[in-house]
Amino acid sequence: MRLALYVTCLVDLIRPSVGMASLRLLEAAGCEVIVPESQTCCGQPAWSAGNRPLAAELAKKAISELEGYDYVVIPSGSCTDQVRNIYPQLLADDPVWAPRAQQLAARTFELTTFLADVLRVELPLADFAGSVTYHDSCKGLRGLGIKRQPRELLLKVRGLTLDEMADCEECCGFGGAFSVKFGDISTQIVDRKCESIAKVGADAVVGGDLGCLINIEGRLRRRGDETTRVLHIAEVLAGEES
Amino acid sequence: MAGAKHSQAMFFQARAGEKIRNKVLQKALQKAKPLFVGKRAKAMAALPEDGFEFEALRSACVDIRNRVLGDLDVWLELFEEKAKATGAEVLWARDGDEICDLVIDVARRHGVTKATKSKSMLSEEAHLNEALAAAGIRPVETDLGEYIIQLAGETPSHIIAPAVHKTIEEVEALFAEEHGRPLETRTSADIPAMTREAREVLRQHFLSADMGITGANFLIAETGSAALVTNEGNGRMVTTLPRVHVVVTGIEKIVPTLDDFATLMRLLPRSATGQTISNYVSLLTGTKQPGDSDGPEKTVFILVDNGRANLLGSAYQEMLRCIRCGACMNHCPVYFSLGGHAYGWVYPGPMGSVLTPLYTGIENALDLPHASTGCNQCGTVCPVRIPLPGLMHRLREEQVERGLRPLGESFALKAWAWLAGKPRLYRWVVRRASRYLNWLADDSGRIRILGMAPGWTAGRDLSVPAGKTFHEQYAARKRA
Repeated sequence: MRLALYVTCLVDLIRPSVGMASLRLLEAAGCEVIVPESQTCCGQPAWSAGNRPLAAELAKKAISELEGYDYVVIPSGSCTDQVRNIYPQLLADDPVWAPRAQQLAARTFELTTFLADVLRVELPLADFAGSVTYHDSCKGLRGLGIKRQPRELLLKVRGLTLDEMADCEECCGFGGAFSVKFGDISTQIVDRKCESIAKVGADAVVGGDLGCLINIEGRLRRRGDETTRVLHIAEVLAGEES
Repeated sequence: MAGAKHSQAMFFQARAGEKIRNKVLQKALQKAKPLFVGKRAKAMAALPEDGFEFEALRSACVDIRNRVLGDLDVWLELFEEKAKATGAEVLWARDGDEICDLVIDVARRHGVTKATKSKSMLSEEAHLNEALAAAGIRPVETDLGEYIIQLAGETPSHIIAPAVHKTIEEVEALFAEEHGRPLETRTSADIPAMTREAREVLRQHFLSADMGITGANFLIAETGSAALVTNEGNGRMVTTLPRVHVVVTGIEKIVPTLDDFATLMRLLPRSATGQTISNYVSLLTGTKQPGDSDGPEKTVFILVDNGRANLLGSAYQEMLRCIRCGACMNHCPVYFSLGGHAYGWVYPGPMGSVLTPLYTGIENALDLPHASTGCNQCGTVCPVRIPLPGLMHRLREEQVERGLRPLGESFALKAWAWLAGKPRLYRWVVRRASRYLNWLADDSGRIRILGMAPGWTAGRDLSVPAGKTFHEQYAARKRA
């Protein structure tokens, strides 16, 4: 099975370990993983801002470089939502690109969905000593129905216990440009998330979208929480590289 | 541009900061949210026991609303015909000013000097209370929440819980001042006693008003009736005691039949307050007949456009399905961080972020379509499946198409897209950015002030990676 790994711009820049962990997970499951060299951005920022032409341009670029693989896997619910749900909508009126967008959408999966539902991967690759609480990111949860898969995978990790926090489905206030444009509102929202995390008292908060995680981690640290780890699920499942 | 002159929606961002710093408001909001969310969840979870799944009921409600919007003129004509046959008068208003003129005219024709009111958001759109007062007619709000904010000189901050932004202590102080009764006559935070006090004051108004003004949750075409859903019984006082009853309602509020109304009622109270049914459901048809013990001698329907007809056949038509349950705002993380007043006009939360720009002009509410994290909790709970994030997104597109976005934002996006189209250059820039972020970080590996996104680092630290970018690491791994 030959698949393309699409690494989000945030992972590339801020937390490359998420991409490396995804790579190790997929390879350990026996996949031939290729990282298309020309990949850059899925176009979500332009789409969210309402700039359809720019979003369409970047969608076409992504489609061109991700075609021709059995699957495309993305360690992010929100970028996967962009490819699966937005690309076909964005290019619906284009007779050439609409079918290509649809074909790509059907073969593109968010990492945990791919591991749990398509590969049905054997875990663990790594141990995790401690308790985690899972934050459901909005786009993955409500756009793609990701809920059961990450939990199923986490529970296979040796030594890991899962403690659900209250309101685990509540938005963390990131929302991409929202947290930049409306920083104070976003802070107010993420504060409530931090309180839920503090209350459950887990060793780590785990999620599937780096944007939410950077937001949560940033607020936890600013509030003075130096100990709760904030990890992408790929990092937990694959273990941190020695 | 009805209402635009009164809209404060352009000041959303400034208002937001003010609301976040208001500790009293924050206390009120944090208390209310779990109640709304919990009660609705419980009511929805209990639905299958009644034999109707939420999704099936939702589909039925969507169909009813779409059927109406597909032939709105036909249903309105039928309603007019049926209402007239019951002896009611039917008038039409294009905008807020016309609503005020018509209501004042009805009041003058019938020698009215005081009007009791049951909650009506359209009268907020029209600023009806101000107009009535200026014409020498005293409007008295009788819904407890509306009564509180009328005393306080404020506007509603929520469409079903107008005073949700107020704490008990604030209301206590307000009552003590306005009712002229010392606080010591009741124990602190005694809600039943406070309610009783308000009822005693309102009773005099119910008995002395010559006109009752209400909205309508629905208009029923086949019978020419107005349906009113309340929890306090004030709606009945306002519609049965005064000589004249005026119903002010939007043209989209119509439903074809009583059966359709019954279907919508299965979801409206459950979505709004988590109730199986509200305490009072009134179906008001016609005027007082010989032998009736109560009821108005004169009933007037004022059917209002105020921007609604423009949405028919547009990309925003789905918004007209709205049944004003408030579920979207009750589940919105942004709404519950700010309360409704930050939104600057009559309708707050996700539905307001769509309606306010549409009714008052996109250029007068630039921030509102962006005042969403895109979490789509609103779309998930909407009983008539309005794709609220999708409509906000369409408004954002329209802002871009009309060149209404700030130049800096447009430029940044274009620069980003241009760069993303040049992978080798992009790679180089990301590598430089990675180094730059590392350079900005302090000893603990965190950035505490980021010039490019000061709003972000005002509340958060940004952790930076110690290592190289993913693509650098991947390239090194391939070479190895």
